[in-house]
Amino acid sequence: MRATALLRPVAGRLAAALAVLLGAATLAFLTLQLIPGDPVSVMLGPGTAASPEVRAEITRTYGLDRPVAVQYLHYLGHLFTGDLGESYQLQRPVAGLIGEQLWPTVQLALFALLLAVTAALVLAVATAGRNRALRGLASFAELLAVSTPSYWTGILLLTAFSFRLQIFPVAGAQDFASLVLPAVTLALSLAGVLAQVLREGLETALGQPFAVTARARGLSATAVRLRHALRHAAIPLVTLTGWLTGSLLGGAVLVETVFGRPGIGALTLQAATNKDIPLVIGLVLLSAFVFVLLSTLIDLLYLVIDPRLRTR
Amino acid sequence: MPLDRSRALVLTAVGSLFLAACSGASGTGKGNAAGKPVSGGSLTYAVDTEPVSFDIHASPQDITGAIQRNVFDSLVHQDAEGEFHPWLATKWTVSDDLKTFTFHLREGVKFTDGTPFDAQAVKVNFDRIVDPATKSQYASSLLGPYTGTTVVDDHTVTVRFSSPVASFLQAASTPYLGFYSPAAIKKYGGKLSAGGAADVGTGPFKFTGYTKGQSVTLTRNPDYDWAPATASHKGPAYLEKLTIRFLSQDATRVGALTSGQVQIADPIPPADVKTVKANQQLETLTTQAPGANYALVLNTTQKPLDDIRVRRAVQRGIDIDTAVKSVYFGVYKRAWSPISPTTPYYDKSLENTWGYDPALANRNLDEAGWTKRDADGYRTKGGKRLSIEWPLMPQEYIREQRDTLGQAIQADLKKLGIEIKRPRLDIGTYIEKVYAGKEGIADYSWARFDPDVLRLYFNSASDPRKGGQNATFYKDADLDKWTDDAQATLDKDTRRKLYGDTQKKVVDLATEIPLYVRTAVAGVSTSVHGLKTDPNTWINFYDAWIGK
Repeated sequence: MRATALLRPVAGRLAAALAVLLGAATLAFLTLQLIPGDPVSVMLGPGTAASPEVRAEITRTYGLDRPVAVQYLHYLGHLFTGDLGESYQLQRPVAGLIGEQLWPTVQLALFALLLAVTAALVLAVATAGRNRALRGLASFAELLAVSTPSYWTGILLLTAFSFRLQIFPVAGAQDFASLVLPAVTLALSLAGVLAQVLREGLETALGQPFAVTARARGLSATAVRLRHALRHAAIPLVTLTGWLTGSLLGGAVLVETVFGRPGIGALTLQAATNKDIPLVIGLVLLSAFVFVLLSTLIDLLYLVIDPRLRTR
Repeated sequence: MPLDRSRALVLTAVGSLFLAACSGASGTGKGNAAGKPVSGGSLTYAVDTEPVSFDIHASPQDITGAIQRNVFDSLVHQDAEGEFHPWLATKWTVSDDLKTFTFHLREGVKFTDGTPFDAQAVKVNFDRIVDPATKSQYASSLLGPYTGTTVVDDHTVTVRFSSPVASFLQAASTPYLGFYSPAAIKKYGGKLSAGGAADVGTGPFKFTGYTKGQSVTLTRNPDYDWAPATASHKGPAYLEKLTIRFLSQDATRVGALTSGQVQIADPIPPADVKTVKANQQLETLTTQAPGANYALVLNTTQKPLDDIRVRRAVQRGIDIDTAVKSVYFGVYKRAWSPISPTTPYYDKSLENTWGYDPALANRNLDEAGWTKRDADGYRTKGGKRLSIEWPLMPQEYIREQRDTLGQAIQADLKKLGIEIKRPRLDIGTYIEKVYAGKEGIADYSWARFDPDVLRLYFNSASDPRKGGQNATFYKDADLDKWTDDAQATLDKDTRRKLYGDTQKKVVDLATEIPLYVRTAVAGVSTSVHGLKTDPNTWINFYDAWIGK
């Protein structure tokens, strides 16, 4: 019963996912067509000694002399065979480039997420509906974490823990130690947002009649929070976590730059700066895919968290 | 040679700066007194840019040359004085018309994959550079009017051009005209941009590892035995391993250096130079870049800059000394000539000849008829405001806080009643408008250890619409002739005269306003010895060693 209940949303989701990916690819393609200027000049950037022959060769190799519609169809055709094309600048397959840069970013994002969710849970459960001063203090700290640019947080953490105390290495992705500071940097602002939302959810739930009933049955205040209120507050938390995880890709750009880590963020920055069209589109597709995947997972998680949704 | 010797290393003892005027090969650190070189050890070198492409024949990037210098050798070696020395070529002859260059190659040189370096290898590489399929953005321009290479015998090769190329030896001394193993070219073809296993040269180091976004690892080539005679030692490099870390954030790079996690950080931003100098464990390595200084390039085909009086007003109405000093904390020097003091045939006599003179600037504007002022204080003529557009590039292309310097210039010119508009353009529009001569002012620098940049900048044939760099769009018979003639002779006195006259005339015509001399400052741990910089300001690691 439960399996079939899950099957339909999954199938629908899959079709929607494909549509989203196609839309993202098309949109990315169109956006890149809107960049003013001759694409070869844009690609080469200012101050180059490239001869007219070299320009002609670049135009020819990448088919930039063909009509836009032909280029689009050609590009879609390749996409359907799973071929993301080759980077203009790096002369390597886009899929390979993304594949090799993906893991350091996934590592960073997952670890940051783990830290953020843990911190948010502890903070919110400990302070929701309790001492006003304590709550105010936690709230202030969270707001500070959210509003500090991750770039700045990263530099501060580096200065303290790498440059001064020398506990963690300054940069790279060679071992676990090099993961800690960038993950904490990313996690801080995430934790801030999550804790605020979770606390509000908890406080609303604790005000509901069922919480009073549970208390009346003799459950301790903490047990009520953990077993009952948390479940109610979890839905917005999950939604938000999913959305934030997707946006980690964007957040990673700054963090990876500050910490000199390899990854999708650094790759995206380079691709955008160099107008490396196939690479940019590949990265847009990846980002769209991640969002689709996450929102599907979240929808499924709702079913797990809230039994009422399964009967619909 | 009229060369300013500050090209040689400028080293700092703690807190005090002294110029080390060296002859021959540049560079001795205070560390060299520390004893006998030690073989072995590894060194980490943090840089601010990651190469887009490692292909020396295709890439126009400075950083590609800087890293690959360690992996690729050249036919000849050029020292800081501009003199050439044998390297992969033991001797060479140049035809009188400067169109034919014959090189006698050193025997026994091998690529790190075991392929012998011979005349055929030279031909394969040069032919690859000019092949449009290579998409060479820089090396092919160094070969210029190349018509072909003839293999005379295994160790003799002749390179031919359709017109005289006085600067060919200089070009041949750069890594961009370095040599890949022909076997590697055959095997990896168009994939040389990825570095790694494809990156096979004859240099003192082998390219052994690359993590994109993180670092490159070079390891010693144990068979290396063909360093140029100007090097301090023979045989393999001292360092076992050289790691190049990509740390684009200034704060991260400087912090990594001060905390000892890297031994060299390059560049140190001007604002941090003082801190690095004050640190007992560190010293600085300062080198002025060769080539064209960072300058305002005035478009002489546009009103109002078609009037020499307005150009002179702009030239004399900017307090360059004050602006450069305050933006770069005294680390960069203001420029007096279109080319930097470290470029061969720099004309030192131009120094202090055209300083800040607002009275003169105002007089020029009055004479040009810009006598009225509008409500905002800007000058007008015939009801039109004296306004010039100088577009900003997108942020990612702006280096060395040139936008901040621009604000100082804008403010100075406003005092004279000249309005400078600085719209921020996307790069496509920027290139389209500036290269087509539709903007008033452009700004750029061009690093190359060769006065031929003067031809690139001021010869009317070097039109940006045809891939050239002369955004003054000014046609001057003298400038055309002088820069062409200088490129067709190797006679030093003639070249000095021609290039000297060119520099003076450009300043006189005020078609370009030199602003500052780009200066590379690297921070180096005192444990590193024997570092040298080559004429391109790149650090040479062949003689480097780690001590106490």
